[in-house]
Amino acid sequence: MEYSLLQIGPRLRSFSVQPRRKETLLVTTLLGIAWTAGVAFGLRTILSYESKPGKIGAVPSKWPATSQIERLTNRPTLIMLAHPRCPCTRASVAELGQIMARLQGKVYAYVLFLHPAQSNAGWEDTGLQRSAAAIPGVAVRSDVDGVEARRFGAETSGHTLLFDRDGRLLFSGGITEFRGHAGDNTGERAIESLVNGQAPARTATSVFGCALANRSQKEDRALCQK
Amino acid sequence: MSEIVEQSLQSNGWTNRADELFQQHRQEIYRKTDQLFAWLMAFQWVAAIMIAMIISPRTWVGQSSYVHTHIWASIFIGGAISLFPIWMTRAWPGSALTRHIIAVAQMLMSVLLIDLTGGRIETHFHVFGSLVILSFYRDWRVLISATIVVYLDHFLRGIYWPYSVYGVLSASPWRSVEHAGWVIFEDVFLVISCLRSIREMRFVANRTAALESSEQNFRQIFEEAPIGMAVVGLDSHYAWVNATLCSMVGYSEEELTSRTPSEITHLDDIDMDKQLTQHLLSETTRTCVEKRYLRKDGEIIWATRTACLMRDENGRPRHYLAMVEDITQRKKDAVALEEAKNEAERANRAKDKFLAALSHELRTPLTPVLMSAAALEKEPGIKPELRRQFGMMRRNVELEARLIDDLLDLTRVSHGKLQLLVSGPIDVHSLLAHSEQIVRSDARKKSLALHLELTANEHHVAGDAARINQVFWNLLKNAIKFTPAGGQITVWTANPTQGQFVLTVSDNGIGIDQETLPFVFRAFEQGDVRGLQPCSGLGLGLSISKAIVELHGGTIRAESAGRGRGAVFTVELGTVLPFPEAQIQASQPPRFGDVSYRLLVVEDHEPTLAVLTRLLRCQGHEVMPAATVQRALTLAADHTFDFVISDLGLPDGNGIDLMMQLSNDYGLRGIALTGYGMAEDLAKTEQAGFLAHLVKPINFDQLHRVLEQCN
Repeated sequence: MEYSLLQIGPRLRSFSVQPRRKETLLVTTLLGIAWTAGVAFGLRTILSYESKPGKIGAVPSKWPATSQIERLTNRPTLIMLAHPRCPCTRASVAELGQIMARLQGKVYAYVLFLHPAQSNAGWEDTGLQRSAAAIPGVAVRSDVDGVEARRFGAETSGHTLLFDRDGRLLFSGGITEFRGHAGDNTGERAIESLVNGQAPARTATSVFGCALANRSQKEDRALCQK
Repeated sequence: MSEIVEQSLQSNGWTNRADELFQQHRQEIYRKTDQLFAWLMAFQWVAAIMIAMIISPRTWVGQSSYVHTHIWASIFIGGAISLFPIWMTRAWPGSALTRHIIAVAQMLMSVLLIDLTGGRIETHFHVFGSLVILSFYRDWRVLISATIVVYLDHFLRGIYWPYSVYGVLSASPWRSVEHAGWVIFEDVFLVISCLRSIREMRFVANRTAALESSEQNFRQIFEEAPIGMAVVGLDSHYAWVNATLCSMVGYSEEELTSRTPSEITHLDDIDMDKQLTQHLLSETTRTCVEKRYLRKDGEIIWATRTACLMRDENGRPRHYLAMVEDITQRKKDAVALEEAKNEAERANRAKDKFLAALSHELRTPLTPVLMSAAALEKEPGIKPELRRQFGMMRRNVELEARLIDDLLDLTRVSHGKLQLLVSGPIDVHSLLAHSEQIVRSDARKKSLALHLELTANEHHVAGDAARINQVFWNLLKNAIKFTPAGGQITVWTANPTQGQFVLTVSDNGIGIDQETLPFVFRAFEQGDVRGLQPCSGLGLGLSISKAIVELHGGTIRAESAGRGRGAVFTVELGTVLPFPEAQIQASQPPRFGDVSYRLLVVEDHEPTLAVLTRLLRCQGHEVMPAATVQRALTLAADHTFDFVISDLGLPDGNGIDLMMQLSNDYGLRGIALTGYGMAEDLAKTEQAGFLAHLVKPINFDQLHRVLEQCN
């Protein structure tokens, strides 16, 4: 008795198996089903995870008066709140670089990296920080204990805000649309439109990145699941 | 070329083998590529984990962190993707299902890696690289499976997570088609490459099958050759031997391949064998020798061994090829044949000796009778009746001598030893006239009209006058014999063309029927001779005549309109120019009776010696008779002689030795007169110094003519 695993062509005789391999065939079938289901479930899980945005706090409509960051009055000011060790924020910094390159000095940008007061030396000395500092027109600052982040209502790394020369909030949200994935996105296009005096499609987007505020892993995951 | 190979294979019925080789090769490729992917899958899994650990090791929450989801994804999803295909390569190596699962898994690994690297465009090259690696299978179908996975991935993610794949929140459904299109673009060329590889594999399989077939044919020829064949290495050991050689020398294949040719060669032939081997290495391309082998059981066999040196493509010696044919039986047969031949030759010599002795014994008693009868027939003053009686005696003795001559001639003809004593040009007309005179009395007795119409202008031929005369005499005697009383016989000569002489002897006798005509020249053939005398010949004359004519370069034929309608015998010979008349006159010997010689006659037959002595003395010669060699030597020492006439067979010696001694001691010339008339006898007498060899019986005129010629 012969079993045909798959009949694609008449010459593929290697599909025929001997009865003594019946058990192997059964195991293969079961493993195949499990493999298909497992891989599908796994990929779906990771993709779902990466498409879940982070938490956004109470974003002020005007430049916070208490902020220690100097706002320019001759051009719009862009603020990005970032976690220096968040792998997902690499994509946000990369997109910031794209924005700054395209706007050619029409906007001044700050990247404020979270700096816990009790952190070790070199906390901020990361590749991400160096990447941000290398972008022309971008000033990198430390945000000790996330004070500025709280002032700007940012709770997720990569949260970007655009204020006009008068300090009015023009845009708030992320400049990536998938966790850790760089590429053309709504936030980026909105910022560029606003700086260029055009009407954006949206003025707020989701933010994908690590949490800036201290909370438990359970709380963090719960927030992401929402 | 491939078509030619295909046709050749089909004609030889080797397509099944070619197909088998093709499938084996393909299966080998499948299995090896399975192994490659097993390792690749494991490597990719580890690589995915490493990538996750480098790019996104931890997720941060403020100042604290925990393991990033990508780490777990790379471990578990990467493991899930990789392990099942790896297991398949073990459980179902080379199967199509394994290949397709690997293709699917490889594309899923691309999805995972792209995701782990944050959708970097560079990681997308993993898709295209994977397709190339999948083409290692040379099975274009796995590319279809891989492409379907790519399309479904883009299609589904385009619906549910478009940004993860296209970088936008919403994408057209055709975007997945566009992405798949680029994959298909690569697929097209990979499929072409696969199909070409398959064609090449099939071509290689066909060639291999053809080579296998050829090799099998040659091996079969080698193994089943009816002669022994061996390949001998340069180390002088047998490398391959066939069954025939093993059977020939009595060793098994294993025994023989552990030996050298010298070990089974006869001791006396080893040196020759080594020399021939050296010749092969130097310049000789092939050697063929008869040699002896020693069988395992000790028996010696003879064989013909042909050997050549096989060289590689660079001309360097590779090995020797030897073909050995057992000729032991042939050798034995040759020895037996040689012995039989020697025996036959001994018997033949004995027969010749017997014939010579018989001839001698039969002729010797006739000699005195013939000589006496011939002399008395010519004796003047005797009564006519007595003369006729002497004539009758002479003719019958001559007939008896002729019968003996014919028997001896037939022996010479059958042995190809009939020889001619060629002299100058022979006047055929003169010979015919002489023959006519001999047979005229016989013709007259039967009242036969014998006419000679000698019209040929060119009537001289080169040859042996006595033999030519013998032919004419035979023809005339036959015509007289087979023509009834009152018949007519005509002898006619002519020259149809210049240089050609034709003689016809025609009669109106009993003729020859058509059944007998083809055989008249065979010995002992006389046809139907009813009504004739029973003792009218042995039937040898025409056979001997034919041999004589052909020795002269001529032809003889018989024609007859049938029984009772006579017969015509035609002889054709080539003519030569005669000697000038003056030369003939000058060379003519003195007439009989003009010269007297001192003759020593040696003959052990008393009657012959007496008659010969008397007749020679009557002719005026001074004759000293001797019956023994010793007597002859004594007389020679005491007297001076012009010639010695000697018999060959003498009681105390032989005439050959006697002649040599007389010639050496006294410068004496001689004539052999003997009953030995075989060719060997004539050669011996000539070598001994005899001027002429006369075969008994002779009539006195014959002896006289020889004496004239010798003088």
